[in-house]
Amino acid sequence: MKSLYCFLILLAAAASGNAQEFTKQMTTARTAYSSGKLEEARFAMQQMMQELDIISGKELIGLLPAKLDTMSANTSADAVSGTSGFAGVVVHREYGKAKPDGDVPAQVEIITNSPLISGLNAMLSLPLLGNSPDQKVIKISGYKALVTKQHSDGETPEFEVQLPLNSTLITLKAPGYSQEKIIALANTLPIAEIAKRVQ
Amino acid sequence: MQLPKRAGCTALMFLLVGFAHAQPKFLKKAANAANNAINNAVNTAVNGNSNNNNTGNDAQQAGQNSSSTRSGRPSNRGGQGLVSTPPDVAANLTASEDAFKKSSYGEARYALQQAMLGVELQIGHGILKMLPEQIAGMPKEAEADQVTSTGWGWAGLTIRREYQKDDKAMDVTIANNSVMLNALNMYLASGMYNQSTGGQQNWKQTKLKNNKAVIEYSDGSGYKLSVPLGQTTLLLLEGVNFATEQEFMNAANTIDVDKIKELLNEK
Repeated sequence: MKSLYCFLILLAAAASGNAQEFTKQMTTARTAYSSGKLEEARFAMQQMMQELDIISGKELIGLLPAKLDTMSANTSADAVSGTSGFAGVVVHREYGKAKPDGDVPAQVEIITNSPLISGLNAMLSLPLLGNSPDQKVIKISGYKALVTKQHSDGETPEFEVQLPLNSTLITLKAPGYSQEKIIALANTLPIAEIAKRVQ
Repeated sequence: MQLPKRAGCTALMFLLVGFAHAQPKFLKKAANAANNAINNAVNTAVNGNSNNNNTGNDAQQAGQNSSSTRSGRPSNRGGQGLVSTPPDVAANLTASEDAFKKSSYGEARYALQQAMLGVELQIGHGILKMLPEQIAGMPKEAEADQVTSTGWGWAGLTIRREYQKDDKAMDVTIANNSVMLNALNMYLASGMYNQSTGGQQNWKQTKLKNNKAVIEYSDGSGYKLSVPLGQTTLLLLEGVNFATEQEFMNAANTIDVDKIKELLNEK
């Protein structure tokens, strides 16, 4: 519990830094624009966009549950990274203790504001794709999602759930979980709240 | 039981073949009838009467029918289109700041994207303004001027101008800040291009006002000059029906490359 508080305090401090940077770049953009330095104004806006994406990413991490099934969040592995406007910002959280080979029992990844994801989402929404024997279209908290059987390791198949929301993609991976169990896990994620924030 | 089935199949085949033969005749008749009706309607509308002695009301009705589809639903006869409204940069910056203060990051992002779009469109129009009114005797095709920006960083800003006189033409494209372009620029600027000397030389390295460039030629599309400018901009010139490389390069040299770099803040 103590470590969770520490994490939240650190998160708030980091967000405050980003907020200051956003305000600073806003002033730069305004000054540059009013003096006709359009390219400088544009650059400052790009910086603001980046800050905004990082702030939203951190906010999304704060929305994710502290526990998934019986697994606690490994907050030290939390990450918000990427480039806004191209590949998108990746929000990453792991659950449970990592195995010696580095595998993580469960992880949630949210890629936001990626134009590439928009294309992927369009494909995911095609009903034909859901007809593959390794894929199935399901609903998580009322939103359409795709559960996919990954490469089988021996006799244990692995599943992942992908849920597209416009230019955002939420992915849940839990290698040790069956199809039904991973769907149940995905249903514990605050999808509606995430959707509200990313739209 | 097999015999009637086979006979049924044969009859069906005859029917299909018969229909296939009859269909072109039927379609031709239908097309002729439609053409006659349209010609009559147009004559009536223009001359006030027709061979069929239509009244004025008939002509008006026929005129309306000529712009309708067969199902009776009217098709659009034209309009003024959309009013060009570039986003207001200052207003969108304020909207973004307000939304940010309320922690509505999605809204803040949208407003910021609109502001960026507005600035990019202004930059693009500024560049179009400084491009020459004519190149090598070819005037600009004003209606073909184009500034495209999506507000997404990866797609960047694209500015396009066309020049044309008779069968000679030159297209100028300036692509800026596209992530994909960066890789291309690095490739072009690296000087790693090889040149072949056997047979027809189709491309080679050159310079446009001290900027490294690559010139290409093909009988099908003419001359093409790619000039990376600074870190994130590519100037692309395409010339059709230029007699020689020198003539094309002379035309290319009339473009103020340094001014483009200055406007796009390229070093």
